[in-house]
Amino acid sequence: MSPKKNSASKARSKKAKAPAKKSGKATKIPSHGKSTSAPTTTPSSNGSAQGLRVRMFRVGFGDFFLLTVPTANGPSEHVLIDCGVHAQDLGSIRDAVDQMAKDCGSKLTLVVMTHRHADHISGFATCSDVFSGFTVERVWMPWFEDPKNDTAMAFQASLTAMANDLSMRFAARGDDSSLMLKDMVDNITGGPAAAGGSKNQKALDVLHNGFKNKADHDYYKAGDQPVLPKSLSDAGLSAQILGPPIDPKLISQMTKVSQQYLSEQIETDDEGVRPFPKAFWTDRNGYPSDAFRIYDDQTITRLIDGAQPNLLAARAKAADNTLNNQSLVVLFSFRGKNLLFAGDAQWGNWENFLYGGAYGTPGHTELTENAKSILGKIDFYKVGHHGSANATPKDAVAAMRLGCVGMCSTQIHAYNQVPREPLLDALRGRMEGQLARSDQVATQTSKAEKTAGELPDQFKIPATGELFIDYEFK
Amino acid sequence: MKRPTMVCEEVGDQGDNGKQAQVSAPPDIYTSSEIPTPSERPLSVYAFDPSAGRLVGNYMTASVRYEAVQPGPVGERFAVIDYDGANKTFYQPVDLNDPRLLIRGGLAPSESDPRFHQQMAYAVASETLQRFEFALGRRIHWRGTRRSASADPVPRGASRCLNLFPHALCQANAFYSPEAHGILFGYFRASRSNPGSNLPGQTVFTCLSHDIIAHETTHAIVDGIRSFFTEPTNIDVPAFHEAFADLAALFSHFSHKEFLLDTLEKTGGRLFDSRLKPELAISPGSTGAVIQAQIGKANPLVALATQFGEAVGLRGALRSALGTPPNSNDINVKTEPHDRGSILVAAVFDAYFTIYIRRTMDLFRIHRAGGGNLDHDDLPAPLAERLAAEASRTAEQFFVICARALDYCPPVDITFGDFLRAVLTADLDLHPKDPDGVRDALMQAFRLRGIIADGAASFSEESLFWPKVRRDALPTVDGLQFGDPNGLTKSEKDNNGDVLRAYAQKHGDLLGFDRSLGKIQALSFHPMFHMGEDGRLFVDMVAELVQTVRRPFGEAGSGTFPMRNGVTLLISQDPPTADERPPPRIRFVIAKLHSAEREDRVRTYYASSGRAISQKIESGEVGEAGDDARFQLDFGLLHAGA
Repeated sequence: MSPKKNSASKARSKKAKAPAKKSGKATKIPSHGKSTSAPTTTPSSNGSAQGLRVRMFRVGFGDFFLLTVPTANGPSEHVLIDCGVHAQDLGSIRDAVDQMAKDCGSKLTLVVMTHRHADHISGFATCSDVFSGFTVERVWMPWFEDPKNDTAMAFQASLTAMANDLSMRFAARGDDSSLMLKDMVDNITGGPAAAGGSKNQKALDVLHNGFKNKADHDYYKAGDQPVLPKSLSDAGLSAQILGPPIDPKLISQMTKVSQQYLSEQIETDDEGVRPFPKAFWTDRNGYPSDAFRIYDDQTITRLIDGAQPNLLAARAKAADNTLNNQSLVVLFSFRGKNLLFAGDAQWGNWENFLYGGAYGTPGHTELTENAKSILGKIDFYKVGHHGSANATPKDAVAAMRLGCVGMCSTQIHAYNQVPREPLLDALRGRMEGQLARSDQVATQTSKAEKTAGELPDQFKIPATGELFIDYEFK
Repeated sequence: MKRPTMVCEEVGDQGDNGKQAQVSAPPDIYTSSEIPTPSERPLSVYAFDPSAGRLVGNYMTASVRYEAVQPGPVGERFAVIDYDGANKTFYQPVDLNDPRLLIRGGLAPSESDPRFHQQMAYAVASETLQRFEFALGRRIHWRGTRRSASADPVPRGASRCLNLFPHALCQANAFYSPEAHGILFGYFRASRSNPGSNLPGQTVFTCLSHDIIAHETTHAIVDGIRSFFTEPTNIDVPAFHEAFADLAALFSHFSHKEFLLDTLEKTGGRLFDSRLKPELAISPGSTGAVIQAQIGKANPLVALATQFGEAVGLRGALRSALGTPPNSNDINVKTEPHDRGSILVAAVFDAYFTIYIRRTMDLFRIHRAGGGNLDHDDLPAPLAERLAAEASRTAEQFFVICARALDYCPPVDITFGDFLRAVLTADLDLHPKDPDGVRDALMQAFRLRGIIADGAASFSEESLFWPKVRRDALPTVDGLQFGDPNGLTKSEKDNNGDVLRAYAQKHGDLLGFDRSLGKIQALSFHPMFHMGEDGRLFVDMVAELVQTVRRPFGEAGSGTFPMRNGVTLLISQDPPTADERPPPRIRFVIAKLHSAEREDRVRTYYASSGRAISQKIESGEVGEAGDDARFQLDFGLLHAGA
């Protein structure tokens, strides 16, 4: 597999304005956009954020972001935020990782893993050979990944066990909706790996101990004061950790449904329990006709049969939410520009940040001053959970600074109603149109998604018209 | 014997006079050779669940109102249909008319025979229904109207009979399903690593838990009384449903005398203690229990669904009546419906035990005055008897107040504060004198837990009662028919529906509706009868008037949501004067009316709980975005944890 060399080798021309032409058919317009490589411009002395760049790779349904930070005198520093794909894998992740290795000289100052869903970490497993050549100074992970924290480890272990169990059950069912649910729970484990264990475990192993050097690891929760590598803080970058919340009450936001499947109830299996011997079995004829005066026997069997899988589906969704809410939410600041990376944080995680507690309870019905001031000043927002409806609350959208910039990594047909168009429209309104979707750029094998609309002018794609979208701060 | 009058009455054959005289005797209207119909059918059940073993009183006999039943049991109010959706089979129904069962009160408790399970589900559900019918003073009907305009129509006869499915699912779950018009009970394997008193991996049946059956039946009863309590328009609505069902299940524990006596003895009369004293004290010098009789157990009187809780690894009962010390912070942080519901349950039980103590204080004092000391002496049997009588009388009173309070709740958007006001007002109507301070105890218990009532001027009895409508302030509801406690005929119902709709149409503004927003429906009306303390009979009608308005989600999402405004009316039929029956007058208007603020709150709540776009729609499980099913509580999901 050969990485696209041309994009990296072309010189950047800072002054040229991106052509007004849109990227809808980018592959056919080689003149469009600018080739991009690591910016080398030194930041101007007036403190503008020039040279700060966010790159979003198109890999399918998954997140892969590279933040590049200019330094005063020397090469730029690079921060990797997630690297994974799950559903609708376009097969481009190896190209993307190779591209990144080339651009940053296999050196990452910081790696941020938001949460352990395959669509955020699978690249570490599938490209472990590339990553083993990387030098990584620090790795940030959510609190739940701390191998020294027994509570966290037990929680993750039972979550994984449950996901495996659910996956088998959905596979056994085999119908379309069950297979989509299977896909959803497989995202938790990454699916079984050839060498035993799960693919996600492999990715986690790489994150913990699979780089060229031995990286430092930090495990953060909301409110922690993060440690930035010196070169990044010297460059002027600072960071704040806004999630995940660890307050047990907020974790139980996930409701008893999830607490319960985290207990051992999961041992139950569908086919295994036969409560009574066949001697007790009968059919509808064993009952008087009056038993069926409200619903006939066919209606009753249909209703009760239909009641069975919904609970499994509910569990799968609750598990999915649980993991999304483990997302590390990081606010980076650089020379007055604020960038919010929220992973796939869903309601419980946002709720803590936005309202300071359970929404709707006294004292927690309005945005906190802190949330307002943060959202009111952000310049960049990585749209949560691939644009699904419950990953960006409307109150958050309303509080975002008008005209901030957004990027959303997504791929249609992975799950129903993801991305959620009305939400993206609301964001576009707030962002004055400056919202990029990863499927607005092509890959070697896939065209840009027509229904995604055209890439706004503020963003750039490489001359090849493939693989990634950049946003450069001014 | 000459009996001319008799002869006069004979219309038969006049030519047969001689013979007639011979057999002429007054017709016997008294003697009958028919065997009297029994009023009750005794049926064996577990008082708790199989895990309680043969613990005092766990094998009990329920007295179910007698009715003719077919195999199932299939009776008038319940039809037990044992279809197992996991194994795709029916199980043989129990035939309670089999003489071998009749002679011994049904099948003996057994985990391995599904027919006992059917019998127990039938018996406990019937018992629960009877308790509510007794408390409310009227016949209760099941939900007979559809849940939303897009839902399937409710079949004929649904309001009379509810289905019970004792082994519907292989899940640690049991729930009331309005779609199936019945209760689905699940069975599951107990935890292998932490099963409590169950065998690791043994099959646990939710339909063998007295508490779970009573809890789910209560859900169905409430759903039949209040159409929109299944619409979670604020955080308290689902919690209220759970709390109310728990209250019904817990109060039923106190009607079980044998067991109550045992608990009294093991707590020294302090029924609210969470643990029982062991049967045998640990000997001085010994470090711990040596035999099982020395191990103290949890007090099952205040615990719910112990076997279920242990089987899923909770290390104890699913919930307890008095979980945590009273504090005013829980109400701000507990949002999960069962957790939040337990705050309300704890408040009611706090008041209950306070009254129990108040009413038995004299007995304890007499006992002490006679030299008794309960710290080391056993409770004397006659004292235990008297305490048990007070405990169960007080429990009965509290249950009745709580049940009656349902009729005093607003028809939509209930909060815990509304329930407090309803409880106090119901109690004022039932027991105006209140010598033991029941209302004050309730009020203080709620206050301690931070439950406050919106719109009440202060936290005092006076301002917490729903305000009474001034006499003659509202026009009378002419033509309303009250029937009798056994119900209304179809034509009486049709008449009342017309009368109430016409009244709402004509006087809606006076009740606080904005009639320009839409039509006002008369959703339900139930006659209420109760005997006053002076022995007078009070006759009321409680009616729900609801107006539904579709409102857009706006920026929160696509589509619209139903915004409901409503009032509960309590309409009184005053006793007749010499010449005429006065027209029915409205005594209470308990309202949740439209305001921009409330609309906004409901919208935000729906949006924040993900209902702007239904998750079910998202996953393709149910139809169109206009489907209102998402605005209804899904008890299956709610209970997957309980």
